[in-house]
Amino acid sequence: MTWGDALPWLVALPWTGAVLTRALGARGPRMAGGLAWAFLIATAALAVGPVTEVARHGAFSYAVGGWAAPYGVELRFDHFSAWVLPLTLLFVLVVPFSFRYLEGTLPLERQAPFYALLLLNAGAMIGFTISADLFNLFVFMEVVSLSSYALVAIAGRGLAAWAALKYLLIGGVASTLMLLGVTFVFVLTGSLNLADVSARFAAGVDAAPAATAIALLATSFLVKAALFPLHVWLPDAHAIAPSPVSAVLSGMVVKIGVVGLIRLYQLAYGSSAFEMAGLNTLLVWAGAIAIVTGAFLAMVQNDIKLMLAYSTISNVGYIVMGLALASPYAAIGGVVHVFNHALIKVTLFLAAGALIHHTGFRTLTDLRGVARAMPYTSAAMAIGAISIVGLPPTAGFVCKWYIALGAFQAGQAGFGLALVFGALLIFVYYVRLLNALYFKPAVHAAVRDASEVPWSMRAPMLLAALACLVMGVLGGVPLSFVEPAVLDMLPAWGP
Amino acid sequence: MLLFGIDLDYLAFGVLFCVGLYMVVAKSNLIKKVLGLNVMQTAVFALLVTSGMIDGADPPVRTEATSAPFANPLPQAMVLTGIVVAVALTAVALALIVQIHADYGTIEVDELKEAP
Amino acid sequence: MRSVAVRSAALILVVVLIGVPLVVTVATLPAHGEADAPVHAAVADRYVEHGVAETGMPNLVTAVLLDYRGFDTFVEVVVVFAALMAVLALPRGDLDQDGTPETGGDALGASDSPVEVSPIVFYVVRTLAPFIALFAVAMLYRGHASPGGGFQSAAVLAALFVVLTLILGRRRTERLLLRRARPWLEGAAPLAFALVGAAGMLLGGTFLSRPGTVDVHLVQETMGFALEIGIAVGGAVILARLFLTVER
Repeated sequence: MTWGDALPWLVALPWTGAVLTRALGARGPRMAGGLAWAFLIATAALAVGPVTEVARHGAFSYAVGGWAAPYGVELRFDHFSAWVLPLTLLFVLVVPFSFRYLEGTLPLERQAPFYALLLLNAGAMIGFTISADLFNLFVFMEVVSLSSYALVAIAGRGLAAWAALKYLLIGGVASTLMLLGVTFVFVLTGSLNLADVSARFAAGVDAAPAATAIALLATSFLVKAALFPLHVWLPDAHAIAPSPVSAVLSGMVVKIGVVGLIRLYQLAYGSSAFEMAGLNTLLVWAGAIAIVTGAFLAMVQNDIKLMLAYSTISNVGYIVMGLALASPYAAIGGVVHVFNHALIKVTLFLAAGALIHHTGFRTLTDLRGVARAMPYTSAAMAIGAISIVGLPPTAGFVCKWYIALGAFQAGQAGFGLALVFGALLIFVYYVRLLNALYFKPAVHAAVRDASEVPWSMRAPMLLAALACLVMGVLGGVPLSFVEPAVLDMLPAWGP
Repeated sequence: MLLFGIDLDYLAFGVLFCVGLYMVVAKSNLIKKVLGLNVMQTAVFALLVTSGMIDGADPPVRTEATSAPFANPLPQAMVLTGIVVAVALTAVALALIVQIHADYGTIEVDELKEAP
Repeated sequence: MRSVAVRSAALILVVVLIGVPLVVTVATLPAHGEADAPVHAAVADRYVEHGVAETGMPNLVTAVLLDYRGFDTFVEVVVVFAALMAVLALPRGDLDQDGTPETGGDALGASDSPVEVSPIVFYVVRTLAPFIALFAVAMLYRGHASPGGGFQSAAVLAALFVVLTLILGRRRTERLLLRRARPWLEGAAPLAFALVGAAGMLLGGTFLSRPGTVDVHLVQETMGFALEIGIAVGGAVILARLFLTVER
């Protein structure tokens, strides 16, 4: 048995958990959540193996069903796939938070499907990250998307359903674009395996349809990642969803689009058949605009969850800009920010959820002065805020610094300035936030008399905040981890 | 299957795809939007299956009755999967629309935008 | 009024801008129909020439679905399961978990059927129902050798369930779904894939591999059938439940 054998189980384990959670979950109040948690912990433990394997020996593949690629589906665990470990660990934090959070909102018979959806979502994201087959990527993306649409609508009524339906329509069009792109690739090469397609493209193929295929796939991934101007579905969906779901959506689900983009880069650059400079220029501009507009729109929000949602749009701009700048520092920074932003956003959304749950208010004006009553939650919020601004001892600093350096390295200093400008805007709105929480007198009695959240909600929040600080100190570790994979991707990158 | 330098079947499916896209974007009724999505998906499926055809080929089932050349089995398998995925998506969309209708009493986008 | 016209014009413009390049490109794809078209270059020949020998299934589409690319089918059955989870997780107003109206207000009439049923329809459906079910089972059984298989069978069974519900009313057809076992039936397809996948690994191969040596031919067929039955049962139950949940 090699670690390759573990790869399909990274997907099958959470999914089996989903079926069991559904079948057994209605038996008791903590049954569904507890089962889900157990399966996620087991998956995280299982993920450690492949991550250490890739750290020691580099990327490895696994042919499912024993059929070698391109005849069968190939799973490939490379340095980018190591993302599955922090992904599952973040789920391990979010699930216990949901126990108490959803107690009042969700009746027992709907809790089992809720946790099942979370498990399906997690397993599918893992599957997307380790798959090396285009059609396989498509179906995994569909599971991720479907479960996300439902999770948005789950705790609300008509308004949440409407936000979820908008998400579904836009996401559905994006998925169909992806399928059309895969169809194009298939008609041009006859194969679906990423490496095989790359080789066939290199061997010579019609330029226009191939470029269209790349464009279709890129558009589809960028809609899922909510890059400007394809981000319109995100603010409502993330703000309306229950906070643990928002944490999953903003932290992890949008990153799947980024992973898709990385796989697309690997395919396109590996084949040296495409001139990616045009796409990259477009993406750098889109990323820069996303950074600034996202930060600006976040700055003017009063609703705390809308603020965080726009902040996600801004940070996706950072990530895509980093990848598209096509220089080592920028790309490494972008890739690591995938992980760091997930951690920070989970912290922020869990803290926001705690505030909303215990005070009943969602706006900055209403939440004034809550720090006195809920010190732990506010501290977690503060640490998350400092991290996302990118101040030194926290997780956000290192990646943004790298992306800025990368901008200069690529000779595109202007975009480095966009990054700095965006950071300043973010700084302003988080100062507003912390000012409101800590230094203003409480307006509502409910805020003044609020109690701190129970430990099942407090611990995940604080652990996530602690991880933000730790990753700030240990910032070099993920950077050097992904460096070989990024440099591997780079040589074929155009200017 | 006719050729005048371009593949007419592919062209038809491309146009169908755009019709579906128009429906999703331009129609005000939510069910029509979902139908538009279905039309887009059907266009892609048709494109996929057609691509696997060979003139005069038999279906890819090897019995005494069939002989070479065989149509490509891979796109057919892909489309089978795709249809199932489309059905799942439609089911969730309809469930959401039922929810919206229960709460707002309408499924027209224009009216929903004015709802509180 | 004018703004509506402007909006329609803008939308048409957007669709044309995206659509025209797309249609032009689609039309210039390598044309279909030639045996040497690039679409057949990579994998098709191996499937066609060796598919029967390697998988034991004359139906090459089923061979691709269950054997060569079985992992895709695994994800696909999970998509359907996810759709059911999604629909069950949403608030559904006056309906309780089973999709039946709470006993307070009876939304269905005395006859329990949502439509007025003519005696002809009633008779025809009731007479044909067992044959339709038998046909679905036959499709499942022959799925590896002729067009058919798990999904097709599930679709026919679910369609049968819908028609029966329309004429008999949901109270009587719901019992078909075996309330106690129902959550397990819904998950039958993903579970079947997980179990067969594990079996494949335990029997010395990889996930979802099926030992192909002559003396374990029975094992290979059993695993294939297990997958097909899981897909058919799981798919049918899920589709039926989706219908019941959305239909009021």
